[in-house]
Amino acid sequence: MEARILDERKAFIVNGKKDIGCNFDAPAIKCDSDSLSGTVSQRACVYCGARVVLNPITDAFHIVHGPIGCASYTWDIRGSLTSGSDLYRNSFSTDLSDKDIVFGGEKKLAAAIEEIIEKHNPKLIFVYSTCIVGVIGDDVDAVCKQAEKKHGTRVISVKSPGFSGNKSYGYKMACNAILELIEPHKNQAKIKGVNILGDFNLAGEMWIIKNYLREIGIPVVATITGDSSCETLIKAPAAQLNLVQCAGSMTYLAKKMEEEMGIPFVKISFFGVEDTSASLIRIAEAIGSGENIQKAEAFTEMERNKLNSFMDKYKKNLEGKKAAIYVGGGFKAISLIRQFREMGIETVVVGTQTGKKEDYEVMESLVGKDTVILDDANPAELEAFMKQKGADILVGGVKERPLAYKLGIAFCDHNHERKHALAGYEGVINFTEEINLSLNSPVWKMVRG
Amino acid sequence: MSKNLVNLCVNPCKMCMPMGIVSAFYGLKNCMTILHGSQGCSTYIRRHMATHYNEPVDIASSSLTENGTVFGGENNLIKGLENMIELYNPEVIGIATTCLAETIGEDVPRIINNFNIIHPGNKVKFIPVVSMGYSETQYEGFFMALRAIVENVDMVPEKNNKVNIITGMISPADTRYLKRLLDSMKVEYILLPDISENLDGQHKESYNRLPEGGTSLEELSLMGGAKLTIELTTFTKEHNSPAQYLYAAYGVPFVRCSLPVGLRDTDALISVLEHAGGTKPEEIMKERGRYMDAMIDSHKYNAEGRAVIFGEPDFVYSAVRLCAENGIMPVITATGAKCGNLKERLEEEVQGVADFLHIDKFLILEACDFDTIEKYAVEYGANIMIGSSDGRRIEEKLRLPLVRCAFPIHDQVGGQRVRMLGYDGSLELLDRITNSLLIRKEHSFRGEMHDRYYKEEAGDTSVDLDKISSLKEVAGLRNKADIILANKKKTETHPCFNGCGSEYARMHLPIAPKCNIQCNYCVRKYDCPNESRPGVTTEVLSPEQACEKYKRVKEGLPNLKVVGIAGPGDSLADFESTRKTLSLIKREDPEVTFCLSTNGLLLPLYADELAELGVSHVTVTMNAVNTTIGAKIYKHVDYMGHRYFGEVGAAILMANQLSGIKRSTSLGLICKVNIVMLKGINEYHIPVVVEKAKELGCEITNIMQLIPVAGSEFENIPLVSNREIMGMRKQCGSILKQMYHCRQCRADAIGTLDNDQSINFRGCTGCNDIEETDRAEEKTFLFAVSSKSGILVDQHFGHASDFYIYEYKNKVIRFKERRSVSKYCDGAEGCDGMGGMNKEGKMEAILETVKDCNGVLAMRIGEAPKQKLKEKAIETFTTYDRIENAVRVAAEKLCV
Repeated sequence: MEARILDERKAFIVNGKKDIGCNFDAPAIKCDSDSLSGTVSQRACVYCGARVVLNPITDAFHIVHGPIGCASYTWDIRGSLTSGSDLYRNSFSTDLSDKDIVFGGEKKLAAAIEEIIEKHNPKLIFVYSTCIVGVIGDDVDAVCKQAEKKHGTRVISVKSPGFSGNKSYGYKMACNAILELIEPHKNQAKIKGVNILGDFNLAGEMWIIKNYLREIGIPVVATITGDSSCETLIKAPAAQLNLVQCAGSMTYLAKKMEEEMGIPFVKISFFGVEDTSASLIRIAEAIGSGENIQKAEAFTEMERNKLNSFMDKYKKNLEGKKAAIYVGGGFKAISLIRQFREMGIETVVVGTQTGKKEDYEVMESLVGKDTVILDDANPAELEAFMKQKGADILVGGVKERPLAYKLGIAFCDHNHERKHALAGYEGVINFTEEINLSLNSPVWKMVRG
Repeated sequence: MSKNLVNLCVNPCKMCMPMGIVSAFYGLKNCMTILHGSQGCSTYIRRHMATHYNEPVDIASSSLTENGTVFGGENNLIKGLENMIELYNPEVIGIATTCLAETIGEDVPRIINNFNIIHPGNKVKFIPVVSMGYSETQYEGFFMALRAIVENVDMVPEKNNKVNIITGMISPADTRYLKRLLDSMKVEYILLPDISENLDGQHKESYNRLPEGGTSLEELSLMGGAKLTIELTTFTKEHNSPAQYLYAAYGVPFVRCSLPVGLRDTDALISVLEHAGGTKPEEIMKERGRYMDAMIDSHKYNAEGRAVIFGEPDFVYSAVRLCAENGIMPVITATGAKCGNLKERLEEEVQGVADFLHIDKFLILEACDFDTIEKYAVEYGANIMIGSSDGRRIEEKLRLPLVRCAFPIHDQVGGQRVRMLGYDGSLELLDRITNSLLIRKEHSFRGEMHDRYYKEEAGDTSVDLDKISSLKEVAGLRNKADIILANKKKTETHPCFNGCGSEYARMHLPIAPKCNIQCNYCVRKYDCPNESRPGVTTEVLSPEQACEKYKRVKEGLPNLKVVGIAGPGDSLADFESTRKTLSLIKREDPEVTFCLSTNGLLLPLYADELAELGVSHVTVTMNAVNTTIGAKIYKHVDYMGHRYFGEVGAAILMANQLSGIKRSTSLGLICKVNIVMLKGINEYHIPVVVEKAKELGCEITNIMQLIPVAGSEFENIPLVSNREIMGMRKQCGSILKQMYHCRQCRADAIGTLDNDQSINFRGCTGCNDIEETDRAEEKTFLFAVSSKSGILVDQHFGHASDFYIYEYKNKVIRFKERRSVSKYCDGAEGCDGMGGMNKEGKMEAILETVKDCNGVLAMRIGEAPKQKLKEKAIETFTTYDRIENAVRVAAEKLCV
């Protein structure tokens, strides 16, 4: 079947500009708008965005107020790990049925919250609103407030009806929920240390980052939200500095915390050798002493040296290959383009579900005019451009994997379900190995005949 | 609903109707489905299916937003249909509504009508299905879609010789089997749905994004004229039944069979097909014989099976029947749906097995969730689970093997090829079940038999121990209460007893290099600052040096409360230096808490003296209290001038550990026992050690991971995971208090548990001061960096809402701070905070933010601001680079 690009989609697709310098006349990519109906967008919904951000809070009851599907499809599907409670790996649903749609689900929700509090005495409950709740008009906020008042347990309403925006809007709703949780604790005395925002402890990545910070003598106050708990989160306002990693989901929270709690933030990245090293030194410089800086420099140098021969060995297998990237946010896409460049791999197609205009500007200046950049791509477009540009490997989410395989293209899992860490120096090794083992697997020689 | 929570479903054992609908439409040729609702529904369902089938799953969405929700989604749906037709060119489009569309009252038939008015030449067949996710489950959704298909397809009512075969949700591989069966019986059939190719595709030279397999509209149109319908489902309700519709509308007679799983139901289907004119399938009858042969071969193993079976009603019924005919006892049968006579039908089956095995209880649960299943699984003695991969959390938690054979399978490959239909499919499933039972048995029976029957030979050391203790106790019991009280008090400031949050610091003094036993996990090696583990240290100190170091550290760390002697060897092996160190420090600081770690070999000898020296805490590493196990851990023991190996050595060590601990606790010392968890060696024995520690009056035990050391005997022993450690600690927590925060500190650790500062106190005094360098001639510059990512210079100057400020000094680049532009907003007009600033106001604020800088770095910058900066003598650098590199380049330019 021939590749087709719908006319209405053409504005969402541009080319790179690295090699043509600043070209102010070229039309900017269209992005950050509603998905085009019927095109099989790879995006999810507001609820999904909110759930992704909050789910790693390990000792919270995550109640999905709505029909069963929303809870069923998000039950324990993320690779966020815990060092404490396992509660977050369960999926609680009010399982609304016909009757509830007609008469409203408030009573059921109130009873559910009441029951949980009585039987489990939890510290924290999140109640996610789904599409249907937005339509039948349940006042979830009121139910939550009432339960809080009655029992003194934190019950926080997450305003996430699926249709009320896109996934990034869900991130924002999650950030609001976190703010609501920590706001009563904002007048704590400051202690030395940082909060880490925007890492979700996939395959233990938060632990890796914390280990690095321990090496350089920087204490961590709260992690948001990887491997966090109610108790650790409410300490967050005591930190001196916020480190923001997944900028798409967490810059909003960092800004709010800066305004309301006086905690400055810096953006950092733990993807790739250079980013990881620069970030650690930056953190030491931002709040540490001379000693911390020395430690950071010594530590990053040592790690970098360890990786040099590793990278040399692998580069031979990777140089000259072509990559396609289709991921959730701009931050990840940008860091992937650069990581590929460190390996000698050129990015020929790059796109995101929720990238912002500024993200695309960066991408445009990172890649050449032969590279296709697309926002909110659909399978037909991914297929067309991967074929046209001769991509050897695709980095993407679970839904994209079978497409790549059908097209005979290697694949790298850079998603929330993965079971191997991609952050930090350890992540560089894992990432490089994964790229190599898929790209150079003998199966391709067999099937391509 | 859950067993524990009546108002919540905890870990659903069902999915929503659109899931079933989409799956059914995948069995049609050149067909696409669109979900009329918000974007998430289709994405979640695609993810769920793609992971199970390992196939691309393209399902469109009408992507309803706030607008569509308020004003109706007609435009979205029409646009969606147009786009799908253009992108995929399908012949059929299934249009399923969702919770959202149904609740806002979308009238899909009317929208289809309007579509056809706009596009009079439309040739695509639209099949609408009403499906609110909250109504029923994917099981009902599947048949509702099939019903909608037969209701909407234009039928050719003329009679033909075909048999309609309608199936529930079976795997693509099972669908292929069904076709093979029908072909081999020479039955002319129309299969609805046929997912055999679409959800288990081949790798081909070219990929077609529209599924080409499946039943075509043309074939479907013959269903109205068929001579018979065979509907393979047990519990589908009449109003969802396609067979019922074809009978009512076209008079096609129908027979309902259960899915052909197991001997009885496969026989039944074949017999029906024979009546419908099919010939006896000779090859398949051989499979029947083989299945029977296998049933006999494994019946004795199967009788030990106590199964939990969960999933959709039809699947559960078939799996129960298969188990029942093989003598496997389904102790729990659970479905998330609700169906009329499911319970009675199942009871019949299960009761039969229960009777012959004399099992008096079993459960059949409807509208059930996994929380409930988990609660009952242990109570009902389950040893195997059969269902989808949704059971994997229970598998992990309760260590119950799970045979994955239903949708969805997310954690293994091959979901699309799972077999259970027909004799050979049944055989395949049966083999998997039997083998899971056999593996379980093989892995556990040795230990179980050992625990049940093996009684240890008499050789208990306690007699001896009591003798020693009672003799000494007579002499040493003065002031015991006082000592205990004082020592308890010291415990409050001891970080190892209070956890990572403790504000108190401790230091370990490495004064004891010698050791008198050889543990198989240890190679004594100094100077390895990269590894933090007991026995590893940088420098070994003399008692005098140790005291000096103590004084120095105490000055630097006023919260220092505890001095520990933890090796690197054994603190009692060279007792002279330990004694001297302790008395020297005690003279300096009478308040100090002494804590001593030992292997316990010489503890009976020195316990009294330690108490006199003011030691309040003693830690003994005791990995076993059984000589056979001990002999595997300790290579040799040097005692009283002799080297003892094997069980003899272990026995001496253990006897002394036990009597030493008993003596110490009786003197009021606070004792802790460390236990290194060694996989395959002492893991099952640890609770016994903890019991013993409790008996001896220890406060706490600390179960630790083995840190494998290259060159040691146990270099390659399997690692114990954090999880296993935590599990063991939890288990032993019911016996004695457990230490959960052990950091396995270095023998020269200094500081609080969370912040090792030993590196700062290494070497001689005074070396810590950072050398001052000559900086007179060096220049200092300040740079403002416009960065979005915080990593790269990647933002327009004019877009900056904040700047990263870097200082360049002595050729060193340092990050100074992040400045928010909004803070530099001086109240100028149009500058009402970051969001609301107009362009000029914002530029003013930006210029204000960077005015003390020597240079500005941005990805791009307009001419006007560049000029303004120049007027203020601020250089501009446009670049796209890592911040640190860019600043370096800029500074070098300024230096010239």
